[in-house]
Amino acid sequence: MAFRRIDIDQYDEDIYTEEEILIDAESGRSAQEIESLVDARATDVRNLLTRGNINDALTKSLEDPPYGRQLENAKAKNIKTVIDVLNQFRSTDIPTAIKGLDVVQQDVLMKYLYAALSKPEQFNSGMLLSWHEKLTEVAGTGSIVRVMTDKRTVF
Amino acid sequence: MSSPDVHELTLKPITAHSFNGDRTKLAVCPNDTNVDIYNTSSSNWTVEATLKDHDKIVTGIDIAPNSNRIVTCSQDRNAYVWTQENGVWKPALVLLRINRAATFVRWSPNEDKFAVASGARAISVCYFDEDNDWWGSKHIKKPIRSTVLSIDWHPNNVLLASGSADMKARVFSAFIKGVDKKPTPTVWGDKLPFNTVCGEFQSGRGGWVHTVAFSPSGDVLAFAGHDSCINVAYPNADGNPTVITVATPSLPYLSLFWANEHQIVAAGHDCAPVLFETSNNQDWHYTGSLDENKKKVSTATSVLSRFKTMDSRGSSDNDTDLNTIHQNTILEMRPYAGTRDNVTQFSTAGVDGKIVVWDFDPSRVVKDMSALRL
Repeated sequence: MAFRRIDIDQYDEDIYTEEEILIDAESGRSAQEIESLVDARATDVRNLLTRGNINDALTKSLEDPPYGRQLENAKAKNIKTVIDVLNQFRSTDIPTAIKGLDVVQQDVLMKYLYAALSKPEQFNSGMLLSWHEKLTEVAGTGSIVRVMTDKRTVF
Repeated sequence: MSSPDVHELTLKPITAHSFNGDRTKLAVCPNDTNVDIYNTSSSNWTVEATLKDHDKIVTGIDIAPNSNRIVTCSQDRNAYVWTQENGVWKPALVLLRINRAATFVRWSPNEDKFAVASGARAISVCYFDEDNDWWGSKHIKKPIRSTVLSIDWHPNNVLLASGSADMKARVFSAFIKGVDKKPTPTVWGDKLPFNTVCGEFQSGRGGWVHTVAFSPSGDVLAFAGHDSCINVAYPNADGNPTVITVATPSLPYLSLFWANEHQIVAAGHDCAPVLFETSNNQDWHYTGSLDENKKKVSTATSVLSRFKTMDSRGSSDNDTDLNTIHQNTILEMRPYAGTRDNVTQFSTAGVDGKIVVWDFDPSRVVKDMSALRL
């Protein structure tokens, strides 16, 4: 049992709310605008994949992820785009693909891995875990901590 | 003295530590309501006094190097200034006027003020009130939105940096009329009435800001947060500061200091102090660990005992020690010897109850990250 059963914060007129934190993370673009950008990127990524250029497709898919609230559609679509690319890699090619990413891209990739792992009914966890293992070897525990602290979530 | 000089004072976490000016005394809080003063003039450190007036965990200790006064702050929302009279430490109460725990305390460079960070979303800047014969305080409140976790004074005795749980590092003016003379203009601004916000920075990756530090010149601010990043902020006259963020592969850092104008040492959950360097103020990068991570020579165990552990634990190796000297999180790190712009030794205190005094020797940096792992 908690020491105090009354939520004293409700009497604080100057309380620091979750809303306030999340507003900071927003880009200021409208939901439609972001969704059309996500769609355009999905097409680009698909074109790169059909040309067999999977490394470029990976970096393209990790560009400018949709951050903020009320973007469920855009976020769901973007996760699918990223994971579709990851599915194209043979497990032996994963380490070289990760080494081709910069630190920011590695952090974004880590976010998508966790986002996808939270939906095991939709994505193949085995494949995600092998990416996670390889990515942690390169980006370290710091990258995992950043997924947890970052308020700019991808799902 | 061999480096690093390890002293295992207690089995409990050390929440705060501070050496006095000539490094013959050390004040530590072993995660309870007391502050133990150790005599460190011989190699065997012994407790010579205990300060017992707080009634919650002591969260911050700072000994003024020249005036030899100790300031302590605690979760009981109080701070005391201790002065030694005839060999006995006497407390003086400070009117902090806060309704949440105090988290951190530091004397200003001139030792005429100190600042107490607190969970009341405020920093109490305290000064001695001659008329009433007590320590009064003024609050820096705006625009802090959450608990202040750390503070650092600018060498000019007026500016104050803070890191807080609202994920921002800020620079304030803590100018007190009657105590301070008008400061000379710095890169942070020229008009500095109390509570002027001279800078507000964030890494963009979220995470509480655990630690802040001004560079030796005071012109640059470094801060580290729970996002495992080190950030270096350069203020600009046009109001758009440059913030350089170094994302690291290790766990978050809880404490950092500048060894000189182009080297920063940080330590935290990875149990080892690590070095960050720059050559041109733009290419800040992670260099390596200052802990040599020597793999312990395994003590020759008899075949019988090896079979015994294999039988009872299912493994022949039951070594759970880390390769680092600290066996748990480093909570606080402070310069020990040298000058502000050339630190030669520093001390660390950790959750493992150890105080370690290190030589700052960048030539012995261990670059291999894998050595840090278990």
